[in-house]
Amino acid sequence: MEFDGTFTIEDVSTEEVWLALSDPILIKQSLPGCQFLTRIDDPDDVDFDALQEAEPEEDPVTLPEADPEDISERAFVESGHYAALMQISVGSVKPSFRTVVTIDEREFPEMNATGEGSASDSSFEMASGMTLVETDEGVDIEWQAEADVFGKVAQMGQRVISPVANRVVSRFFGSVEDRLTEVAEDEDSSGLRDRVRNLL
Amino acid sequence: MSIESVDPDDVDAADILGSAIERREDPALLTGDAEYTDDIQLPQMTHMAVKRSQHAHAKIEGVDTSTVEEMDEVIAVFTADDIDVPGNLPVGWLLDSLKQVDHPILAEDRVRYQGDAIAVVLAEERYAAHDAVDAIDVDYERLEAVTSPQEALNGGTDLHEDAPDNVALDWEIGDEEKTREAFEEATHTASIDLENQLLIPNAMEPRAAVADYNPSTEELEVAMTSQNPHLHRLLMSGVIDHPEHKLQVRAPDVGGGFGSKIHHYADEALAAWAAKQVERPVKWVATRTETYLTDAPGRGHETHGEIAMDDDGNILGLKVDTEANLGAYLSTFAPSIPTYLYGTLLSGQYDIPAIHAEVTGAFTNVPPVDAYRGAGRPEASYLVERLIHLGAREMDMDPAEFRRQNFVPDDAFPYETQVAVVYDSGEYEKTLDRALEMLDYEDFRERQEQAREDGKYLGVGFSAYIEACGLAPSELAGQLGAQAGLWESSLVRFQPSGTVTAYCGTSGHGQGHDTTYAQIVANELGIDYEDVDVVEGDTDEIPQGMGTYGSRSAAVGGSSLVKSSQKVVEKAKSIAAHQLEASEDDIEFENGEFRVAGAPDRSMHIKEVAEAAYLAHDMPDEVEPGLEATSFYDPDNFVFPFGMHAAVVEVDPDTGEIEFEQYVAVDDVGNQINPKIVEGQIHGGVAQGIGQALYEAAEFDDNGQLLTGSMQDYAVPKAEHIPEMDTDSTVTPSPHNPLGVKGVGEAGTIAAPQAVVNAVCDALEPFDVDHIDMPLKDEKVWRAIHENGGGD
Repeated sequence: MEFDGTFTIEDVSTEEVWLALSDPILIKQSLPGCQFLTRIDDPDDVDFDALQEAEPEEDPVTLPEADPEDISERAFVESGHYAALMQISVGSVKPSFRTVVTIDEREFPEMNATGEGSASDSSFEMASGMTLVETDEGVDIEWQAEADVFGKVAQMGQRVISPVANRVVSRFFGSVEDRLTEVAEDEDSSGLRDRVRNLL
Repeated sequence: MSIESVDPDDVDAADILGSAIERREDPALLTGDAEYTDDIQLPQMTHMAVKRSQHAHAKIEGVDTSTVEEMDEVIAVFTADDIDVPGNLPVGWLLDSLKQVDHPILAEDRVRYQGDAIAVVLAEERYAAHDAVDAIDVDYERLEAVTSPQEALNGGTDLHEDAPDNVALDWEIGDEEKTREAFEEATHTASIDLENQLLIPNAMEPRAAVADYNPSTEELEVAMTSQNPHLHRLLMSGVIDHPEHKLQVRAPDVGGGFGSKIHHYADEALAAWAAKQVERPVKWVATRTETYLTDAPGRGHETHGEIAMDDDGNILGLKVDTEANLGAYLSTFAPSIPTYLYGTLLSGQYDIPAIHAEVTGAFTNVPPVDAYRGAGRPEASYLVERLIHLGAREMDMDPAEFRRQNFVPDDAFPYETQVAVVYDSGEYEKTLDRALEMLDYEDFRERQEQAREDGKYLGVGFSAYIEACGLAPSELAGQLGAQAGLWESSLVRFQPSGTVTAYCGTSGHGQGHDTTYAQIVANELGIDYEDVDVVEGDTDEIPQGMGTYGSRSAAVGGSSLVKSSQKVVEKAKSIAAHQLEASEDDIEFENGEFRVAGAPDRSMHIKEVAEAAYLAHDMPDEVEPGLEATSFYDPDNFVFPFGMHAAVVEVDPDTGEIEFEQYVAVDDVGNQINPKIVEGQIHGGVAQGIGQALYEAAEFDDNGQLLTGSMQDYAVPKAEHIPEMDTDSTVTPSPHNPLGVKGVGEAGTIAAPQAVVNAVCDALEPFDVDHIDMPLKDEKVWRAIHENGGGD
């Protein structure tokens, strides 16, 4: 199955969007159903139960409050592996996918990742990417994903899966947009912008 | 032309055979009094659910059931490691080239289709069992999947070590050399590449089983959705290593099968085996999703066909090369479907002097493929009739007249084809002429021409089908590879008060056997229809049986009941002669009455004889008390029903939409036991055939994931999709069974697809559309038109 789209965020810079989308904490909080998103060393040996237990009760602060340097410190790294637990409602089922993602490429303004997730009766394999494009109004996030879906979820057919994917994607970008808008409305925004630019 | 049902009370006993009486089974089916397998509730009953592979092809690296074992309502979890019996599903039809591969009831280290069983859970409650199954953790290593036979045979990842290049079987029929010569001699040829798509059976009732084991007696009772309980008993007894005489298989009311309940699957065997393990009853009922994932689909052919003609439009030869999808393992009768049930029908209704067909069966990552209503014969008839359509076009001849010219003539029967069968009887022009009359054919062609000028595209499609039913005799079936006989057994038993119970080894699941068999027996014995009860589908009650499939029940089971009834009459006659103090030779039997010839007052009704036989106070020497008889009837040959179906459609070139204007079905199924049931079979069969032509297809993605796994995604036609049908019939009795019947269960399904496709191609002739693969969805039709520059 292939999905793609462009999400426009007005009145922000590509650097700000890049910073936001580089932050595992912000991504985790923006992804509906994401229980945790943690960097791991060995993608073939992940103890999801331990990761969930180790998850702090409260996340470190992220945008708009966070310090860009802190974000930069914990930002996704190329060739890095990340484990996530994602619960997604698809039709009548609500599988929790144990997901491992690898950042294959990460070079401003482009990022590509591959991942696979499995639940008891379903699984998926996915390759996705995004590119940030500066426009007169703000930033276009051009994204695409190609997914193979297996098991019970696959059985629901694209007719059911596509709306679910669209819902996840639009909630995700919507949340990112909200946070960036708060950054832009912040009086210190120009300062933040400069600091972000310097980081890159 | 619809046939009116009649109340059996209004029919004279002498006229009962052949009357369109109402089906006696319907009140129970309609009111809920019927007992389906899922209605069975037993004390202490447990519920089984099956963990199925989410991948179409994968290695199993590990199965972790630890969390499940701790769940409150779980009684037991079993994986392949626990199976302590052979646990290997056998194949019931062998061919020389066949690669027999293991088919374990629980996958060991590899799964080969999405839905392949990996583990089972028994729980106190059905939903707990399903929840537990979800909690089983399977570690897979995914392998490349392949779902098309062509791709499987040409470089697809091998499914089985013992079947290199996924070749399951290699088979041919006919004379290759003679056919090559025929094509050399020919001045005209036409060819086609077509797919006969994979279909999902969609019986209304999902498969189910309730197994109950008594450890003291070692008796194991299995109630299950079966079209052939004796066959299931035989196969299951081997699979789970339980002695056949301690195993009872019973089919309660069964809600349709279409072939899918012939085969022996893993699930029913697992339920039976598990009941022995836990010594409690086990119920398993497939969810609708499971029926989509595991019921044996049908068809699945990719075929190249050619037809050769001389200058005068006489067919000289037919050449066929088919790649058939057999799925992940060999289902019970899978090898016979694309071979002997397909290749032997490639002569259609035509006198074709040279035929050669090659079939390669392929293993692929779809569920094991097997018989589905028609089973091989629709594939043959579709191919032949599509080639005839193109042959007529090549000759620039009217398709009806091209057919007429090439029909096997009436005086040529019995007719031996070039593909190893002998047609029993046929009058093919009769059904063609009747269909043309019903179509008002000449008028239609004029209307068609006029419509084209107005930018409207009408088309007529013919389907001159033939089918072979009641595969027999057993000796022949054995020579062809069947690992079973194809006779049928029955028992006709009088009770002392004069009522009768008739037992038959067939197993109806919607066909109305309770009605039609009672008609047959009442007619033979000369007693009231209401005095005959029919029992089927229980290995504890019925001597032996082969079951219901291949439109065999009337021809083989019905004939067996005739034989048993005749034996009963013979015995009754000797008793009557004794009691009437006459010689047996002087006794005449008519309408249930034994009379002494020339002395009409001296008579005795067969019911009185029954009473006398059980009193046994005054029996002839050497005659045992009681009045019953058993017979095993093994027919001399198949029966070959035939007919002409024709569809009239209008195609909208701007949208690709197809609309029916008329559907004509003229069928010759030999003598009819109950014309209303015959008509119903034709209606249902045509609906299913139209389903294939326009809507249905099992579709998989590149990973072998079923994309059409529910009724939302797999379009079974609804009433609004099916046109009114004009039905009529001719009667050409089969000369070799005592009823003169042929078979009607599959006729409509076999006939309809090519009638529809031929009609659409006829409508689109101005756009040079030769062929569109089924299902003819609007988009496909629209594309075909537009590729040739038509439509808006």
